[in-house]
Amino acid sequence: SAGPRLRLAAALSLLLVLAGAQALAPSHRLTARDLARLRAALELPFADVRSAFYSIVGLHSLGARLADEKAACKFIKSHVDSSSVDSLFYAAQAIRVLSGCEVTISNETRELLLAAISEDSSVTQIFHAVGALSGFGLPLASQEALTALTARLSKEENVLATIQALETASYLSQQADLSGIVEEIEDLVARLDDLGGVYLQFEEGIETTALFVAAAYKLSDHVGTEPAMKEDQIIQLMNAIFSKKNFETLSEAFSIACAAGSLSRNRYHLPVIIVPEGPAAVSHHQPLLKLQVTDVMSQPLTQASVKLEYAKSASSKATVLQETAFTLSGDVFELNFMNVKPASGYYDFSISVDGDKRFIANKVELKVKVSTEVGITNVDLSTVDKDQSIAPKTTRVAYPAKAKGSFTADSHQNFALSFQLIDVNSGAELIPHQTFVRLHNQKTGQEVVFVAEPDSKNVYKFELDTSERKTEFDSASGTYTLYLIIGDATLENPILWNVADVVIKFPEEDAPSTVQSKNLFVPKPEIQHLFREPEKRPPTVVSNTFTALILSPLLLLLILWIKIGANISNFSFAPSTIVFHMGHAAMLGLMYVYWTQLNMFQTLKYLAILGGVTFLAGNRMLAQKAVKR
Amino acid sequence: AAGSLGSVLRRFLAEYGSGTPSRLKVLDAYLLYVLLTGALQFGYCLGVGTFPFNSFLSGFISAVGSFILGVCLRIQINPQNKGEFRGISPERAFADFLFANTILHLVVINFVG
Repeated sequence: SAGPRLRLAAALSLLLVLAGAQALAPSHRLTARDLARLRAALELPFADVRSAFYSIVGLHSLGARLADEKAACKFIKSHVDSSSVDSLFYAAQAIRVLSGCEVTISNETRELLLAAISEDSSVTQIFHAVGALSGFGLPLASQEALTALTARLSKEENVLATIQALETASYLSQQADLSGIVEEIEDLVARLDDLGGVYLQFEEGIETTALFVAAAYKLSDHVGTEPAMKEDQIIQLMNAIFSKKNFETLSEAFSIACAAGSLSRNRYHLPVIIVPEGPAAVSHHQPLLKLQVTDVMSQPLTQASVKLEYAKSASSKATVLQETAFTLSGDVFELNFMNVKPASGYYDFSISVDGDKRFIANKVELKVKVSTEVGITNVDLSTVDKDQSIAPKTTRVAYPAKAKGSFTADSHQNFALSFQLIDVNSGAELIPHQTFVRLHNQKTGQEVVFVAEPDSKNVYKFELDTSERKTEFDSASGTYTLYLIIGDATLENPILWNVADVVIKFPEEDAPSTVQSKNLFVPKPEIQHLFREPEKRPPTVVSNTFTALILSPLLLLLILWIKIGANISNFSFAPSTIVFHMGHAAMLGLMYVYWTQLNMFQTLKYLAILGGVTFLAGNRMLAQKAVKR
Repeated sequence: AAGSLGSVLRRFLAEYGSGTPSRLKVLDAYLLYVLLTGALQFGYCLGVGTFPFNSFLSGFISAVGSFILGVCLRIQINPQNKGEFRGISPERAFADFLFANTILHLVVINFVG
């Protein structure tokens, strides 16, 4: 029939809408504390007309009023410099904001301002002149101003000049064709740097980015055209501008105040900030989920309608609740989530805020925790005989009482514990993250912790077998106190319960003589470094004797040569012979010098020279010898 | 037995003394010197240990290398081997001997430390 089909179509379209709305969520905003800091930065005593302008107009953007407006008015009137276009601009814009502050402008001043609007002045000069004339309520020729501005802008292509051009255009009459200037907004957006997909800012800094946002919305509101910025871009700009929490200069504070003011009241885009009040958690004691729905200046949007699109369990993805409206209570929107009796755990909430066409970033995903209290039931302590000859003795204990008497676990019998965990409010079975059984030796202070595991029917079981668990206990027999530890993030009442005393007896031969406390943090034994022992050498006498001994074969050689009658009588004193013998002797000498002083490269160098000489001489000598033969 | 060994030895020495040119005997004396030097070094090393090992090796290889080069020279200048070494005159052999010795002792000195 039509009913279910319609619901299906609605669900499908909802899914499509949600898929498209995977928009970025704002990560920064001006909290009440940030606003106070910003106001304090702006409420400094005036140093000159320029700082007075920043303070007055900045505070006005935040919706705050100055403490003493009359004193401010007097200050400006006394400090304005009628010969400076800049000073006149600051004075004019500040006076416009103050109530009951009037000033008369002389003709000379007016002529000065009108003369400043020309192609020969810088963009800043044109901006200040137009702003001053507009602030004083004096007529100006919009078309001429626009021409001068456009011409000048094409020469000064930087970001700040373009932003000032946007501001200037917002003072000009709508009858002039401002579309050329309006198009600059798109160009400027293209020049923004994307930082990690979260921030969007000019490389010139946050101040320039904030001034751009204020100027873009000012101009867009003036001409009645939606600014060419996408929702994601606006959120990224917001994140960048409101990430600055400490304001170094007055002009920076002013720029952020202007941006905040323009983002909270312009005709086109109104970013919505949705944050939970306190932690996003509900329980039986606190069943209401409270949300703060504000604009960027943390002002509650009480006219909005806040709706829960769906709430799904994070683990099972089953939808628990959908299409439910939040109710406004004071400044917060609340929803009683416990009405649907959700099981404990985490839930994904998708919330949308409607009521104004201008809302952007008005859909968020929240993770909400549902807490509950745990109860332990059916706690049975038993001693199970290993041979299974005797029936197990079971004692039931109720939390938080302690079992009377003690239980024994030794080589004949094991100790067993079983229990169930339930949600006290709903009666459903719970499987928390932490289910520990802690055994604490009363005498030695040892403790051993085990994990109790649930079986298929969600009944927790723990069994202590002394032969299997010897190593964990270090075979230390004695009386152990048994504790049950139950904990989980979604439990409001974690449990530490002294259930019973267990006497554990290990076989005697394994017991350590003294229980050593495993203190890991005592100094370890010192390592003595063994230096490399020098090699054993023979005594100097022995080696000297050998050196003398090694010369004895040389002596023998000489004797033999004399005996054989090696004759040197044929020694001719030809030059080549002498050179050869000298060269050869020099080579042998070089070997000695190499051993004592030189390295291979130097030796090769000398050897090449000597060797060459010796070779040539030797060649000649041997040739002569051969001829003689 | 012992007697024949002694007679063989005496015969050998007599033949050697008469049949070997004096030039070769001079060389043989040199070879004996080198041999004794090498053996002494080896004995010392066995006696007192191998430290420093590089010095022992250097000296020993010098002796062994010099012995081998000396033997090569002896073979080459032996007039009885003239047929085998047609292109190499004794002078050339001696020049080769000197050159090879230079290279050997360059390495030896490098290694002796």
